[in-house]
This record gives sequence, structure tokens and C-alpha cells, in this order.
Amino acid sequence: MKHSIRYLMIAAIVTSTLGIAGCKKEAPPPPPPAPAPAPKVEAPAPAPAAVSVGTITLGKTIGADKKVTAAMDTFAKSDTIYAAVETTGSGNATIKAKWTFHKSEKTADVSEATETIAATGPAVSAFHVSKPSGWPPGNYQVEIFLGDKSAGMKKFTVQ
Amino acid sequence: MAEDMPDFSDVNSGVESTAVKIYEVKSGDSLSKIAKAEYGNANDYMLIFEANRDILKDPNMIHPGQKLKILPK
Repeated sequence: MKHSIRYLMIAAIVTSTLGIAGCKKEAPPPPPPAPAPAPKVEAPAPAPAAVSVGTITLGKTIGADKKVTAAMDTFAKSDTIYAAVETTGSGNATIKAKWTFHKSEKTADVSEATETIAATGPAVSAFHVSKPSGWPPGNYQVEIFLGDKSAGMKKFTVQ
Repeated sequence: MAEDMPDFSDVNSGVESTAVKIYEVKSGDSLSKIAKAEYGNANDYMLIFEANRDILKDPNMIHPGQKLKILPK
């Protein structure tokens, strides 16, 4: 009987010790959190291209698309002269046409016209000049400016 | 010698565009006057008014410095 009690006591001690040890056993550490995905760096939307001047064409009539109907560089005294300026790009831009007359080394201002456009894509601006009393025969040119920078020039003759 | 050069004082000039033009109102302007200059017809002033309803409340009230959109006609 004494032995039975002793065995029971030992069993109880062993059991409680194991139980305590079992309780003390630390849970395995949780797996490290998955690294946060690197934030996606969105490529910035390409800035719309600024307005730039393309072709400059001279003629004496324009169509509904503001382009000259027949390119030419020699005009008659009574002609209205058009300079169709094709532009690409978007945004506000100031375009100027400066018309001049050239005789030997001398230059005379004929006219200037400026417009500001709010372009949303390809566009055509048709500058024109006319002279009710008739153009003096000789050599002329029209220079196109985008802002304050020259963007192209065309020479023409009046006969 | 400028005297040798022709007189260009009677030259008329202008510009038409397929793009929206921006017109800055000057002192003494009216929508009719701008319409006459831009469209060749003063009666087209309502085209300008309608295109600029975001900044204009009354076609008879425009102010120097306002920037008006002039749509291609």
C-alpha cells in the first residue's frame, strides 16, 4: 500500500512536471510576415508634346482645312498671300508671322500678325496679307515665330 | 534710305486657324467687335459667348484681360 501511494505520488509529480513543461513550451514563432511588395512605381504619363511648327506653305487660296490649295512662291500684284503653318503638339502657343519686303540690302516691314492657340493636336494656322493698292513687285519673305523664336521662313516673289 | 522703299501702310493681315484661338480682351472690346474681327460678322458674338460660358455670365459684360476661347467657325 505504501508503494502504491509512492507510485501515485511519483506519477503525479512526473505528470505535473511534464504538464508544466508542456505548458511552458513556447509556441513556434510565427513565420515572418511576407515582405510587403515593393510599391509599384507607375511610370508618369508622358507629358504632352509642346507645340512645334512643321511645314510652312505659301499660296493664294486656302481650303476649309486652312491649308493652301496650291503651293506657290510667285504671286501677282493683286493676290492675297497665305502662309499656312502646320503645327503639332498640345498646349497654348503664340505664333507670329512677320512679312517683309527686300530690296538690295534694305528691308521694309510689311505686316505682322500674332495669334495664340490652345492646340490639342495637329493644327493649321493660315496667316494672310493683302494690299488693296497692289503689291510692289520684288522679293518678300515671311518668317514664322513660335513664341519669340524663329520657327521657319519662306521667300516669295511678286511679279 | 527708307524713301526708296514702297509704302505698305495699307496692308491688311489676319490669321485663321483650325485650333482654338485665345483672345485677350482689350479695353473698348465687345463680343460683337471681337466676332466681327474673328468671324467677319458681328452677329456671331453668341458663338463666342457660348464658348466662354464658364467665364462669361452676360454677353454685354467682358473685361480687359479676360482670355476668351475663339472656336474655329
